[in-house]
Amino acid sequence: MILLITGFASVRPAFLSLPNITNIGLQSAILLIIALPQTMIILSEGIDISMGAVLSLGGVVLAMVLVTGGPVYLAFLAALGAAVGFGAINGVLVCLVGMPAFVVTLGTFGMAQGIAEVLTDGNVVVGLPAGFEAFYAARPLGIPVPILIAAAAYLVAHGLLYHTRFGTYVFAIGGNREALVLSGVHARWYHFGIYALGGVFVGVASLLLTARMNSGHPTVAIGMEFDAIAAVALGGTSFERGEGWLLGTLLGVLVIGILRNGLDLLMVPSSLQGVSIGILVIATMMLDRWGGRRS
Amino acid sequence: MARPEIVAGQAAPVADAGPSIPLLELEGISKRFPGVRALEGVSLAVCASEVHMLVGENGAGKSTLMKILYGAHRADEGVIRFKGQPVTVATPADARRLGIAVIFQEFSLVPFLSAAENIFLGREFRGPIPGTVDRRRAAREARALLDSLGIDLDPATPVHRLGVAAQQLVEIAKALSQNARILVMDEPTAALSDRECEHLFRIVRRLRDEGVAIVYITHRLAEVMALGDRITVLRDGHKVAELMPGETSTDDLVRMMVGRPVKAVFERRVRFEPGEAALEIRGLYTPSGLENIDLTVRAHEIVGLAGLVGAGRTEVARAIFGADPVSAGETRVFGKPVQDTPNKCVRQGIALIPEKRKEEGLALIRSVQDNLLMSALWRLFPRGWVRPRPAQEAAHRMVESLRIATPSLARPVRVLSGGTQQKIVVGKWLSAGCRLFIFDEPTRGIDVGAKAEIFRLIEDLAERGAAVLLISSEFSEIVQVADHAYVMYDGRITGHLTAAELSEEALLRLAVSRE
Repeated sequence: MILLITGFASVRPAFLSLPNITNIGLQSAILLIIALPQTMIILSEGIDISMGAVLSLGGVVLAMVLVTGGPVYLAFLAALGAAVGFGAINGVLVCLVGMPAFVVTLGTFGMAQGIAEVLTDGNVVVGLPAGFEAFYAARPLGIPVPILIAAAAYLVAHGLLYHTRFGTYVFAIGGNREALVLSGVHARWYHFGIYALGGVFVGVASLLLTARMNSGHPTVAIGMEFDAIAAVALGGTSFERGEGWLLGTLLGVLVIGILRNGLDLLMVPSSLQGVSIGILVIATMMLDRWGGRRS
Repeated sequence: MARPEIVAGQAAPVADAGPSIPLLELEGISKRFPGVRALEGVSLAVCASEVHMLVGENGAGKSTLMKILYGAHRADEGVIRFKGQPVTVATPADARRLGIAVIFQEFSLVPFLSAAENIFLGREFRGPIPGTVDRRRAAREARALLDSLGIDLDPATPVHRLGVAAQQLVEIAKALSQNARILVMDEPTAALSDRECEHLFRIVRRLRDEGVAIVYITHRLAEVMALGDRITVLRDGHKVAELMPGETSTDDLVRMMVGRPVKAVFERRVRFEPGEAALEIRGLYTPSGLENIDLTVRAHEIVGLAGLVGAGRTEVARAIFGADPVSAGETRVFGKPVQDTPNKCVRQGIALIPEKRKEEGLALIRSVQDNLLMSALWRLFPRGWVRPRPAQEAAHRMVESLRIATPSLARPVRVLSGGTQQKIVVGKWLSAGCRLFIFDEPTRGIDVGAKAEIFRLIEDLAERGAAVLLISSEFSEIVQVADHAYVMYDGRITGHLTAAELSEEALLRLAVSRE
């Protein structure tokens, strides 16, 4: 990360300016909010690839309620409900029925995307009330709201993972589910809870997404699940044995944010940014693997 | 949820009367499985402040008895009494309520949680806010518990960083934190070094002195004599003796464990003249724990490698396959140094038939033909294009020559019997052109009739000129099948028995202690 920062700073001095740093924070906020539950899901030996589509759907639902004149809290609850609903479907199928997480979330990915397109006829939902956008740009204490919300989400996730029974069981489900069951814990309900919780975070992210776009776009966040999984992987969370840490995911999100921002400044097209993130993830994994073998 | 209570160190003093009152009694326990009588009228009394040793050969009924103790199996006949009162132990939860805890050989710990979190898993201390956990209190209680056991271990360490011995101690602490009064330990020293064993013994003695009843299952007779207060010997599902260590000797115990001459399921028809050396291991040392292994297997020869679980038999197999690093010595196969990957080993003509044949040896949903030819395709069809007719013929020849009982080549191997599956694994390697066969516990989970067939198959292999290394912890098997045998204990070869010297008693004596 330090390498990236010094690299970009030397080529484009504007990179280190305060507005740009704030910009990186703004761009990373939504990603962080969905990468946090993704970390927990991956810790429990699962994966959720439906997050991008569900996030888009949540944004669309939110925008549509607002456009029809509904109050903000109702719109937010509707979006949250849609996201938690999909999280619950994932949870039921993965944890109670016992289907593979990849297949289940691939299915819900398609469903969420399809519903978003049906609801909007494939168009962007515009004409949101004027005041809505304002909260996104607000800066209590000089810190932009999205960054505050992301920070709060991080603290909540940290508290859940490291200071609650639920968090302990997240590690146990990935590490040795059998041991947890033998200890008399209803592991499947906690397992379900991980996916449902993912819906809550995605719902919150959809609020920020819609505010940022000032519209509801049915496919805008597709691909964001990719960045979230990449951030978790960059953060050093293992995909198969309940090993990992939340701070790593935060760092992973920042690396991706810095990389995308720096490449933007260098006028690199967004398709090539995807390539570079992919290379970075694989390179990190290889280094990790070699390092792991040696020790 | 009940707060865990630290039991060690505050157990009620169990004065003179203590050891004579059984905490748990099993009386007249019988258990049958289809085709097998696993236990026949076995009684066992477990007293507080006593280490009760349970010994017997593989298949004697020790693990069945243990499973009945903690509720994984239910006895067909017999009663279980707890402090004199009849009780039902139908599930592991029942056993836990009675204070029975089992330390398995494979631990039930979560690798990336700390020792403290593992000890209190499922019974976390509640923090001030609902749902939160009091990690500091957990660490403190874990520390107190470990201290009271004399275990020097930081409770904050994630268990994956701990060695086997330390993980075992965490398991013991976990059991005790659940108020266990009866601790069942299944071969606890199988994977420990001498020093770790000493430490474990000190802890076992300490628990005993604090009033815990301990059922200790082991094959190592030296431990039985040093640690036991009472010994129960099982053989073929019967209890043959209950005695005190002072009244007996390791030789007596071996005699009691083996007992009457074994009813042979198999007799060798012919023995063949040994040919060229197929496998030579010279002075092999490995970081995995092998010390100075010397071993030769020739063509036309069936060589036994006997030893108990943890003696190093599997490590020898891995060394032959080049799967583990080597610190000294060498392994030659057909005169050439062994290659370092399993793939090259197959091309050198080595076939490993693993204990877990279903997971490692077969593609269960695929057909008999696909499985038979899996490893041979590169040889039969070097250009990569599989022609159906010759493939079918090759598979058919193998089915004929091994007398594989299958209605058709297209049948998925999943539906075939264990013995037939074993033959298909052998057929797979034969068609790949292998000439050195390593069998790792080939008859585990196979019924008596199929056993004889497997032995016949092994003899057939020798007749065809293959060299066979038969790794087994069932000594009767080695006595019946092998031409000569090596015995291992603790990573070393403790003896070599010729055909004339081979007997179950001799094997067992070499396998249970370092002499």
